[in-house]
Amino acid sequence: MTSVDVRIGAPGPRPTPPTQRRSRASWHALANAVVLAWLALAGVAALTHVRLPAPEWLAIHVFLLGAVTNAIVTWTEHFAIALLRHSEPAPWVRPVRLAALNTGVLSVLYGGSYGPVHLGVAGAVIVVGVVGWHVGILAAWTRRALGGRFAHVVAWYICAGVALVAGGTLGGLMLAGWPPGIGTTRLEAAHIHINLLGWVGLAVLGTLFTFWPTVLRTQVADGSDMIARRSLRLAAPGLAVTVGGFLAGARWVAVAGLLLYAAAAALALVPFLRTARRRRPHTPAAWMLAAGTVWFIVAVLTDLSVVATRAADQVADDLEPLVPFILVGFVGQTLLGALTFLLPVVLGGGPAALKRNAALLERGWIIRLIMVNIAVPLVVLPVPARVSQVAWALVLAALGAFVLLAAVTVFRARGPRVSPSIGGVVVGALATAVAVAVALSGGPGVTTQGGAGVTTQVGTGVQTVEVTLVGMRISPATIKASPGTRLVLRVTNRDAQQHDLRLATGQQTPMLGPGQTATLEVPPLTGPVDGWCTVPGHRAAGMTMRIEVAGAVAGSEGGTGSGEEPGSAPMDHMDHAASGPLNLAASMSPGWRPYDATLRPAPGATEHKVEIRAVQKEIEVAPGVRQRMWTFGGTVPGPVLRGKVGDVFTITLINDDTMGHGIDFHAGSLAPDVPMRTIQPGERLTYRFRAERAGAWLYHCSTMPMLQHIANGMYGAVIIDPPGLAKVDREYVLVQGELYLGEPGSTGQVRKMHDGRPDAWMFNGTAAGYDHAPLTARPGERVRVWVVAAGPSSGTAFHIVGAQFDTVYKEGAYLLRPGDDGGSQVLDLAAAQGGFVETVFPEPGHYPFVDHDMRHGEAGAHGIFEVTR
Amino acid sequence: MTWWSVIRFLHVTTAALWVGGQLTVSLVVLPLARRLLETDQRGRVLREVGRRFGMFTGAFFLPVQISSGIAMAVHKGVTWESLTYPGYGRTLAAKLLLFVLVMVAATLHGWANGRGMAVFARTMAIASLVGSVGIILLATALPVT
Repeated sequence: MTSVDVRIGAPGPRPTPPTQRRSRASWHALANAVVLAWLALAGVAALTHVRLPAPEWLAIHVFLLGAVTNAIVTWTEHFAIALLRHSEPAPWVRPVRLAALNTGVLSVLYGGSYGPVHLGVAGAVIVVGVVGWHVGILAAWTRRALGGRFAHVVAWYICAGVALVAGGTLGGLMLAGWPPGIGTTRLEAAHIHINLLGWVGLAVLGTLFTFWPTVLRTQVADGSDMIARRSLRLAAPGLAVTVGGFLAGARWVAVAGLLLYAAAAALALVPFLRTARRRRPHTPAAWMLAAGTVWFIVAVLTDLSVVATRAADQVADDLEPLVPFILVGFVGQTLLGALTFLLPVVLGGGPAALKRNAALLERGWIIRLIMVNIAVPLVVLPVPARVSQVAWALVLAALGAFVLLAAVTVFRARGPRVSPSIGGVVVGALATAVAVAVALSGGPGVTTQGGAGVTTQVGTGVQTVEVTLVGMRISPATIKASPGTRLVLRVTNRDAQQHDLRLATGQQTPMLGPGQTATLEVPPLTGPVDGWCTVPGHRAAGMTMRIEVAGAVAGSEGGTGSGEEPGSAPMDHMDHAASGPLNLAASMSPGWRPYDATLRPAPGATEHKVEIRAVQKEIEVAPGVRQRMWTFGGTVPGPVLRGKVGDVFTITLINDDTMGHGIDFHAGSLAPDVPMRTIQPGERLTYRFRAERAGAWLYHCSTMPMLQHIANGMYGAVIIDPPGLAKVDREYVLVQGELYLGEPGSTGQVRKMHDGRPDAWMFNGTAAGYDHAPLTARPGERVRVWVVAAGPSSGTAFHIVGAQFDTVYKEGAYLLRPGDDGGSQVLDLAAAQGGFVETVFPEPGHYPFVDHDMRHGEAGAHGIFEVTR
Repeated sequence: MTWWSVIRFLHVTTAALWVGGQLTVSLVVLPLARRLLETDQRGRVLREVGRRFGMFTGAFFLPVQISSGIAMAVHKGVTWESLTYPGYGRTLAAKLLLFVLVMVAATLHGWANGRGMAVFARTMAIASLVGSVGIILLATALPVT
């Protein structure tokens, strides 16, 4: 190999002036540095996705809009110039386009995840405009082109660009929440398809016609130009039909379009296979491209099967788990493979530099390739959480390694020289920043543990006091001592769960398990000192004590007496700020998914094994309002379990939280002592019960204070079908709960719980959520709605506006059956009760369902049944 | 005043000498040596300064800091699990992490010096220095003991 010219397939390279070559190299260094920066950001976004609002949306769009879109625009222009033998554009065009595109991308990302929404929409307009401009230029070049054997490839780029213009427009509409009234699921399905299969898919397929032989260092297969023309004539209309089908909600139209697209892709890959048969992949880039192409085929087939088997309105939900798989397997690998080959070529510097750059970029490629391709199926298959975490770690490690190597390559070739002092300071400061981030992680409201501990020193005039922690109380609650006394507290935890004792003066016992003891030395007393347990929520639940100085006026606060729990004081202020009326009509954040209210039939098996993890999660609990919730399985309510009378449920509860939790299933009858015990962080318990009686049962956290554990989201429903339960057309389940905003466990939040002043009421964990994502039905269909009132304090008066119930089943008994003369308007449930109602909607329309206690109904216990033909 | 104050004294003093020594070498000795000494002499002096400081670090500062640090952690009841808790545990874990990073940078510095990679060696030296100051920052962020 002497030199690899980028004029792919162009016979006889046209001489390029050296100055132009140099400016081309520095342009590519810049453009690809931007791509690499976005790749690095995508890795960071994926790594820290738990902490950001609208996490997955952001990570996906950082990758696709940031890295991939920049790369496609840069490289399609580059290839178009080579293939059409066109001259380089005017010098201002590329920097302006790069700046505009990235301004647009940043606006979309920032506006889409943090607001304002208008910023995101404006960003989408800019991105669409820039790509439209790019496509226009390519089209003009094509029209003026003097030929060139491979000019047809540019037609693929133009179609790809048109796809992004359409797909970006759909994305902007979704951000803007327009058109109002229709669910975003159809728009989303169309958006995903046109961008992934169109913008990315067409650009990749088109490029492969000439790029693949170049990477394999062989001739372009005969007849590939004709195949390129023909397959594009199938792919473009196929994609258009697919998108039209999604927008119209016509599943089979979408399937037909997808079939057409798949056929076109298969045809387009014929030269790919022929070439690979003639010359086996033997370079890193070739292997990565081959692997990416294989996952592309798998992705298209999987997509086809998903679209063919789901209702049009559900496709988007079921496709979402597939997206990371497509991004990693197909898009990511293809992009990294292409860059592995192209970067050394365009950075130039002569054959020696090319060889050195290529060697650097290819370092460890076999391991990286194996890591990624082992991980790809694991990120989508239903494997245990640990396995998928390992898979993601592999993917991110491979991505990080590539970004690092490529950054060094670009930097070495074109980067400015940095003095070692500045470099050293930057490296050291970054290391410190990482360490500080680790130190600060965990957030406010989570208390410090393991502070000042055991002291064995015993001085004169020391008085030892036994302090007991039991039943969410500290005993004695008040200690009186003379001024100057040196108190030693012998603190013993006699409770069944962990506690500690922290004093306002800063001393703190370690976290004490049941039965453990620690001593605490109080500094010489000058004023009253408050003490409390730092486990979240325990202080608010009453685990406080006070050391008073005898002779001092009770209630006069010394310098240390009013010490607040760290982080709780500002949170209390936030509670007040957050308690204002919620704007339930505002739109939900992009990327928000309603809790799926559809109730699936009981599985055939008579034994149900379920693993539930207790975990804290930030959830959008009302439009635009996020709240850290305590959850079973990361959702509020927790997973819905369903079975038949006599079924056995074996539940494994794993505590992934930082405080103790337990679980109590009303659907089973057993001695609470062992199964309902509280388990500590990292522990697990098995809870086995036989469902002897039918009903809609509540389950909830069994750890004290239960008021807080339930009010913060730890509840769910178990549905046990009554024998002979008739089949209906649709079944939904709604678990109603109260919402208390504010730092979980903070004094302000707990006060609202005690006073019974929720900020809102929720069906399935979101106030007014189903106003924004209506439940669906058709006229004449029999719809059964199971309702469970989780409370913790209020029940429900469940009513569907415009409908009458002909069947009511409450707490294990039918109050009304079809064929009875009477009807029912409300299913009334006290806290923790459950049941179901059935109705048949007479005609199309929007039927609100509410808790007819209007205080609740107008504060979030509200949703909509959208009945369409 | 207990034996624990002696141990804490050793921990803090060796840390001060170690970080302070690095700062002195970088900010005082190196610039002056560059300005005042001839090239060959400068090389010898700096090598000797580096060797001697490295010897002190390896033979005295680090062993004392590590052993006194472990002793205090055990005394305070720090467990591996408690290092993951937010607050004290994570701050301590972050401090240990940064300590490891600084040691890695220092090792790379010595390695690169031996291979004549002057620029990289100096970059690592400065990174190690900035990181050690970061360790002090985290030490002050640990809740009062």
